[in-house]
Amino acid sequence: MQFFGGSDISPSPPAPTASGNNAHMMYVFNRNGVCLLYREWNRPLHTLNAQQDHKLMFGLLFSLKSLTAKMDPTSFENHEMCSLDKGNLGVPQLPGQGCSFHSFRTNTYKLSFMETPSGLKIILITHPKTGDLRESLKYIYNLYVEYVVKNPIYTPGAPIRCELFNTSLDQYVRSIS
Amino acid sequence: MIGVGKIKQYANVLETPLSKGKQEVSLSAFAFLFSELVQYNQTQVDNIAELERRLEDAGYSVGARILELLCHRDKGNRRETRLLGILSFVHSTVWKVLFGKVADSLEKGTEHEDEYMISEKELLVNRFISIPKDMGTFNCGAFVAGIVRGVLDSAGFPAVVTAHFVPMEGQQRPRTTILIKFAEEVLRREARLG
Amino acid sequence: MAPVAPRSGDAIFASVEHVNAELFTLTYGAIVRQLLTDLEEVEEVNKQLDQMGYNIGVRLIDEFLAKSNVSRCVDFKETADAIAKIGFKMFLGVGASVTNWDADGTCCSIVLDDNPLVDFVELPDTCQGLYYCNILSGVVRGALEMVSMKTEVTWVRDMLRGDDAFELQVKLLKQVPEEYPYKDDE
Repeated sequence: MQFFGGSDISPSPPAPTASGNNAHMMYVFNRNGVCLLYREWNRPLHTLNAQQDHKLMFGLLFSLKSLTAKMDPTSFENHEMCSLDKGNLGVPQLPGQGCSFHSFRTNTYKLSFMETPSGLKIILITHPKTGDLRESLKYIYNLYVEYVVKNPIYTPGAPIRCELFNTSLDQYVRSIS
Repeated sequence: MIGVGKIKQYANVLETPLSKGKQEVSLSAFAFLFSELVQYNQTQVDNIAELERRLEDAGYSVGARILELLCHRDKGNRRETRLLGILSFVHSTVWKVLFGKVADSLEKGTEHEDEYMISEKELLVNRFISIPKDMGTFNCGAFVAGIVRGVLDSAGFPAVVTAHFVPMEGQQRPRTTILIKFAEEVLRREARLG
Repeated sequence: MAPVAPRSGDAIFASVEHVNAELFTLTYGAIVRQLLTDLEEVEEVNKQLDQMGYNIGVRLIDEFLAKSNVSRCVDFKETADAIAKIGFKMFLGVGASVTNWDADGTCCSIVLDDNPLVDFVELPDTCQGLYYCNILSGVVRGALEMVSMKTEVTWVRDMLRGDDAFELQVKLLKQVPEEYPYKDDE
């Protein structure tokens, strides 16, 4: 998905470097919209307080999912269960139901998105020229499983404070190009 | 006595029809079960010391049963009677059954005659853990300390067993040391046996 | 990127790390003993085991999804199949099968080929009402709830109670869509 024209007209940041520092920030939301993790590597500009920022991000994804499903011109078995609801924007869907978007790009950043059937949402904001990050998000999901979900003192639904997860995440994110 | 998990008694190892000890489950299944043991016990206590004590209690009953199981299965009902024998039994045989490997090291304490240490670079129960600052020195290894105490106690070597993180030079993660302090009577008996 | 086919439970189980089933079984035994001491009433223990299983299911679902490549859990029949064929195998190394579907496809049974929780276990007379394996029914319920399926999971056959198999009945109550969690004026 490319919004609002080509990047040759709008100013873009310099080309991504092969190693490191292409990631701006990351969000993890659970199925209840709770922001479990917000991690920032390179974000010079903040316009909102953290809580508003998280809520806006969650709202953006929620609406975008609903929009993309509504605009879907194809019809296959995916739609069977929600065919009655398809006409109504904003009608709740089951996670994994309908089509799903996985990234969008502006002239200044790229947002990559993954949602699991359990409703976990991982959002990674990177340099606009970074490639397909779907496999990277899967990898991050696996880190989450290893170091958050299996951490015996982590309580599901609570903000993530797991040093093992954060260090492996920081390390991995530096390799994204 | 309240209790399930009663171990079936077999006259001798040849009659044992079940459990050659080769069956496995995924590490994750154990990790989730163990997590829930920790989570449940967190709801039952007010402080970290109590939490460790409860994990140790849970471990104790595992240790007592492991000893029974191994004695029936591998040792034809013989048990170690000497201090070093039982320590090496814990460090190698028990460790291998429980964690698939011999423990990284078994050392005698340098300051106290009655202390021994079994150390593991990455103890299974600490594998996925990140301890938040507000939990201080909490160590899930208390469960393993309990297992060790259960084995030792049931074999007639009462001891106080505790788990500690020990920072390692050049390593990001500390290792876990299981500290065993034997009861006086054990050392007296050992001295008598010469 | 075409959707990846789910991996088989055998393939996953073969590729993950293992622990000796005895450590698992004895640790579970220790949990049950702790509950019997803490709660005293067998009925309360049954409830707590189910709750603990539920808590595990809530966590375990993500490992299941991450390792199995199952990308959608919208259809109940498919999902029940995935639990039996992939789920039990990848975690416990045991097979299970789905049977006894009712006419409208909302209720079925999962029959376990084996059950590593019960090695060494005999219920003493004081614990006759105990559903020793209640943690498993809780796990299934918790995991399904995370993929938007509210279910009721009960043991219909239990070998510790003299039946000839371990059979779980899974009944789909409703599927809960995702809703926008914030109120507009928040």
